Amino acid sequence: MPKFTLDGKEIAFEAGETVMEAAWREGIEIPHYCWHPGLSIAANCRMCLVHVESGRQMAMPQLVFDADKGEYVPATKPRLQPACQPAAAEDMGVSSTNEEVKTAQASVQEFLLLNHPVDCPICDQAGECKLQDYYYEHQGTLKRKLTEPVHKPKGVRFGPTIVYDAERCIMCTRCIRVCDEVAKDHVLDMRERGNRNEIIVAPGRELDHKYTLMTEHVCPVGALTSQDFRFKARVWFLKSGQGVCTGCATGCNTHVDYDPRNGKVYRLRPRDNADVNQFWMCDDGMMTYTRHDTDRLLMSTTGRGEERSPVAEEEALALAAEKLTAVDASKLAVVLSAQHTTEDNLALVKLAGALGADRLYLAALGGWEGDDILRSEDNNPNRSGAKQAASGASLKPVGELLADVQAGAVQGVLALGWATAETLEELAPLLALDGVVSLTSHVGALPAAASVAIPVADTFEVDGSFVNAKGLTQAFQPALCPPDGVEPAWATISELAAKLGKDLGFKDLQGLREGLVDAVEAAQ
Amino acid sequence: MTVEVKVIKKPGRTLAEQAYVPEIAKGLGFAMGRFFKNTFGPQAKKEIDTVKYPEEKVEYPERFRGIHRLTQRSDGSPRCVACLCCSTACPAQCIHIEPAEYEPDDPRHGYERYPSVFVIDELRCIFCGYCVEACPCDAIRMDTGMHMPPSTSRDHFIYDKETLLSIPGRDGTYLTANPRHEPGDDTHPGIDRERGH
Repeated sequence: MPKFTLDGKEIAFEAGETVMEAAWREGIEIPHYCWHPGLSIAANCRMCLVHVESGRQMAMPQLVFDADKGEYVPATKPRLQPACQPAAAEDMGVSSTNEEVKTAQASVQEFLLLNHPVDCPICDQAGECKLQDYYYEHQGTLKRKLTEPVHKPKGVRFGPTIVYDAERCIMCTRCIRVCDEVAKDHVLDMRERGNRNEIIVAPGRELDHKYTLMTEHVCPVGALTSQDFRFKARVWFLKSGQGVCTGCATGCNTHVDYDPRNGKVYRLRPRDNADVNQFWMCDDGMMTYTRHDTDRLLMSTTGRGEERSPVAEEEALALAAEKLTAVDASKLAVVLSAQHTTEDNLALVKLAGALGADRLYLAALGGWEGDDILRSEDNNPNRSGAKQAASGASLKPVGELLADVQAGAVQGVLALGWATAETLEELAPLLALDGVVSLTSHVGALPAAASVAIPVADTFEVDGSFVNAKGLTQAFQPALCPPDGVEPAWATISELAAKLGKDLGFKDLQGLREGLVDAVEAAQ
Repeated sequence: MTVEVKVIKKPGRTLAEQAYVPEIAKGLGFAMGRFFKNTFGPQAKKEIDTVKYPEEKVEYPERFRGIHRLTQRSDGSPRCVACLCCSTACPAQCIHIEPAEYEPDDPRHGYERYPSVFVIDELRCIFCGYCVEACPCDAIRMDTGMHMPPSTSRDHFIYDKETLLSIPGRDGTYLTANPRHEPGDDTHPGIDRERGH
């Protein structure tokens, strides 16, 4: 691979790559606002100016004050270039730290802050704002402008998800390019020039496509803020866990931002993964975090409808075991979940095997609107993983389960998860059975139809993996601890197996995962 | 090896001291003299440092860090914008704030953000003054010149937003000494899309 030198360090590049791109791949950051690895090049913020020291020097005339003569004299200064635009060339010598470049960086930074309202106290971006970071890194001087800054519209509603503040905007056009290039919807544009420059929504439109939160995500300053996250939390309190989006079968990689002080998740952010989601996520996927703490099942319950009452987990497990033993294994249905991890599903398949039950079903949500950008039509994150866990055995949908119940072929059900496309009314045949056990993180139609419901941990609280629509297995780590007394589903299943007098052949997650290798091979 | 020894003579007593009675009389005379002077003598001549608290109070020094107050804007709204800098800086973690946004039809909408809940646990507070240092809006001050009034109930030490806003500064006003030009102010030359540029 050809190489160029950046600040004395050799950097390899591929033909056609820019200086910025090659440096970014090596993990070196040249300060920038408008450049984004996933977007086209605008080169309008001028923050990434560098000095190409090799080759023929271009010089710009300027006047320099000569103290001896007491007047300005003609001189020259090297012409700097934005690192994000010119392609890197073999043996190019680039400096991003010499005096000329430092002066340029400080000047550009001062220029961008010239009319900035400095309303950091009310700005959600404070703490992760590039204007703040670069001020300390590259400027650090007091404001020289003493006149009133130019005022522009503040708090403009762009759509149901985004609020715009023109005073904070540095006109980097990242949001416009995200709409154009990622969402393929030219709904944002820029109007006027100079001081009056601002971002506007196309007349008669709202910013309401499926990727609006990406505009906020790419905004390097606080100009675009998310209506959902607005004023909820300060980013310096948040810690990040590594997750996988549960929204659909694409399995976009996420940062799960939570406050460790109260164990609450405040937002999801896309995590770069060139093989899956590049840098992006859809709005619905980013909002899946709200599922986490709404309608959680925190206590084991028995009974249905009005007779539902909480019981201790130990008691619930014993009761579930009793009800399942009462059913003949050939008439016991085991329902896997397309919302649970492959590990949870595998533990359940193992329990079904130990009990001798071979009726496997799959509970899944009914799908949503897909597109050819990121969104898959299957809004379940782990349908493929559940299939792998079942060693490729056919998994019948919940609709067939209901038919089998009505035909009398099924007399007991052990179900994982809350997610079904069916409503409680449609699940009515299950209400006639005594032995319906649900292991679930949330309340829902399936748990409501169960005679015993036992709480298990949610996706943010478990160590596990999903298999996306393309067959890519993605592991993730827990961001939070499960609520008191609640365990991951595979652990609860193993406890239930102990009550049933069965040994599933694994003691911990590691042991369970060893079994997964065989299951995956069998599935192939 | 020889050790040098320096002999110190025991302090002796004079015959008068040894006699005991004259010294007693001298001591009693001094004590009674002070007693009559401080009890019945004129105020100016009293040689006594204690005051009859709580009837009399000593003025605290100017930079004394008293209980907190929240300053107000001229329309009575809190200057605080719930940026959470004070609760971040607080080493005792005694400040709890929940931010909220003024509704679009609220005249104070221009200020955007305000604390819907602002609670200081004055029992946890160590009166270090970091919150005042951290505040970018001069919204929290400790210039009240008051210490915590004593109480028999712990609840009385949990100060909510209304309580904090109702405490005046030493100068008797609720305003700040460092006014700031904000987008919600009437005098602010802010613009919106309707009014244009």
